[in-house]
Amino acid sequence: MDTRELLSHLAKLENGLDDFSFTELSTAEASALKRTFASFKHGLEEKVFGASISVPSSDVKSKQYHVDSKVQGTFQESTLIANVSHEIRTPLNGVLGFIDLLKDTSLSSKQSELVTALDKASNNLMDIINELLEYSKLAAGHEKFEKVPFNLANMIGEVAFLCKTLITSKDVLFKVHIDKSIPEKIIGDPSKLSQILLNLLGNAVKFVDNGAITLQVNLKSNKKNRVHLEFLVSDTGIGIANDKLKHIFDSYAQAESDTHLKYGGSGLGLSIVKEIVDNLKGCIAVNSTLGKGTTFKVILPFQKVDLLTDDFLPKVKENDTSREIDLTGKRVLVFEDNIMNQKLMENRLKTWGCDTFITDNGIYGLKLLENHQFDIVLMDLRMPKMNGYEITERIRQSKDSTISKIPIIALSADFSATDKKECKTIGITDFILKPYNAEELKGVIYDHISKSSAHISNSGTTSTKNDKALVNIEAIYAECMGQSELLDELVRLFKQNIFEFIGKVKMHLQSSNFQGIGFAAHKIKSSLKMLEATSLLSICEKISEVCKTGNDKNYLNFLYHQFLDEYPNVEHQIDEQIERLSPNNP
Amino acid sequence: MEPRKILLAEDDEMLASLLKYRLEKEGYAVTVRSDGKAVKQDISAQLPDAIISDIMMPYFSGIELVDYLRNNLKSDIPIILISAASNEENVISAFKLGANDFIAKPVSPSELLIRVSKEIERFYRT
Repeated sequence: MDTRELLSHLAKLENGLDDFSFTELSTAEASALKRTFASFKHGLEEKVFGASISVPSSDVKSKQYHVDSKVQGTFQESTLIANVSHEIRTPLNGVLGFIDLLKDTSLSSKQSELVTALDKASNNLMDIINELLEYSKLAAGHEKFEKVPFNLANMIGEVAFLCKTLITSKDVLFKVHIDKSIPEKIIGDPSKLSQILLNLLGNAVKFVDNGAITLQVNLKSNKKNRVHLEFLVSDTGIGIANDKLKHIFDSYAQAESDTHLKYGGSGLGLSIVKEIVDNLKGCIAVNSTLGKGTTFKVILPFQKVDLLTDDFLPKVKENDTSREIDLTGKRVLVFEDNIMNQKLMENRLKTWGCDTFITDNGIYGLKLLENHQFDIVLMDLRMPKMNGYEITERIRQSKDSTISKIPIIALSADFSATDKKECKTIGITDFILKPYNAEELKGVIYDHISKSSAHISNSGTTSTKNDKALVNIEAIYAECMGQSELLDELVRLFKQNIFEFIGKVKMHLQSSNFQGIGFAAHKIKSSLKMLEATSLLSICEKISEVCKTGNDKNYLNFLYHQFLDEYPNVEHQIDEQIERLSPNNP
Repeated sequence: MEPRKILLAEDDEMLASLLKYRLEKEGYAVTVRSDGKAVKQDISAQLPDAIISDIMMPYFSGIELVDYLRNNLKSDIPIILISAASNEENVISAFKLGANDFIAKPVSPSELLIRVSKEIERFYRT
């Protein structure tokens, strides 16, 4: 594997950083950024050069070995790259983090231009490293391939949804067609299939400025227990010249050496696709005419789902589509580490009007549960650090019964019978197989929320929580010395302050101006204190705290929405109390 | 006797109107200003008898105001600061620069009235 690309990006990044430091900025962040970068570069060089220096010496000893087994050589090389890439990611994450921090400081337009360039270069580098890591894992055979039953149409729908979010130009038409004779459920590796398709579609999106992109799925053969499916990804893009086509699946071969300049990318995408297709025992072909477009054809084998295996599928709730399902205002906590899935989930829950908070961090999520009320938890079982089972156990062990009794829906791409058993033992309420259909997810969430709220209202524990006084205007009324007109005026101003606050936070969230948010939250506090609006006050105090100590935008967003949710309740109580205090109503 | 003139610098309209009402009820003539620039212009043109100012004011903070009043305008009129954060550093620097008193938010209007009348009496009695 060629490390030149990596090093040239590193040089670019360093140049950007030097340019940046030459401008007058001398904040702590800038020097921290430089330090992190230096350690990152040092680590990188140690890995890359250290490795290449040590290779000849080990070569002398094991030359025979290398010549003997070319496969073994590739294996070692891939393992080395996998390890190196992995270690590069950690400090690079640090660099990216500091760049984020830097973006939040007040920068001149020149500086922010440089920071943006730095950000872009670092992100490119991250993409390359991720692809490198993935490719080497595949080549070394580290990647695991699953065999699970899944719903093809749902998965294609998900891929299509993501593809549409990638298409920014209005002049690009995206079409999907699935052969109706394909069985609804098949057994294979849905995540690898979506990776193949997203990669091919992603390329198509990159190379088509106006025209059409089509994804077509055909049933190629249908035998007793297996099917062959043909996936066609066609575009009306720039096309690829004939003599370049044969090298297209080689690692690090983009059609033109200048393709990279115009379209970016590491050139690993298609070789990754090829590796996956090979591993799945399928085949891939490409057909292209310059100026007309390109079609990629992938044929993959899948097993058919027979009755026996079908039994292992988690039961899909049959949802009457005519049933009115309203999830507006429901608070959903999602544990999910895959960014793509996070995006999908967020989008979905938002369209249903849910307040959503998504995290991949178990500890953090548990803390959120302690401090905020949620209606339901969606849990990806496979996560780094603390996995879904552990998090569930912790939730169930909580002393607070509103936490320990919350419904938890597990999401996973694969459920074996043992998984199901384990889920039940540790207290997972229900599970959904990924990729899931939106209606199915909605139905399951709804069922469990209504079940648990029915249960709670029977036991009567939450009613006190809801009826609690959120605000108390008696003290301020006393200060008004009986002047109810003044009280009305003050309350009007209070509401106005709240609206201004909401507007400011919304605006500053968009521009990630945490200082602005912190200032707004600080300002509103005195009004909240005057009206003893304790719930809103505690949200604002958290907002101030977050703005002071960090830049956790997700959490801020969450708090902001919590404020939005809570305010109508407070306003309602204010109006009630005014009604009660008014002289006409003794 | 003409009523004492008080400049109230507070950008929170709600608090400002409550305090204005209570101060006027007490017999003061109150002018409210909601940003630091306006306060600076006002006092440069004509000094009030006393100033009540929030520390966190847009454009020109209460601390800057104390500094400007004492060191540029060389005036000794009473100035009382209000701040939500009882940020000790702020309070200390305000006193060092010559603020007469300090009151933390949430402001109790009755307490503020007592502090204001105390400062005014002490300053104008002599």
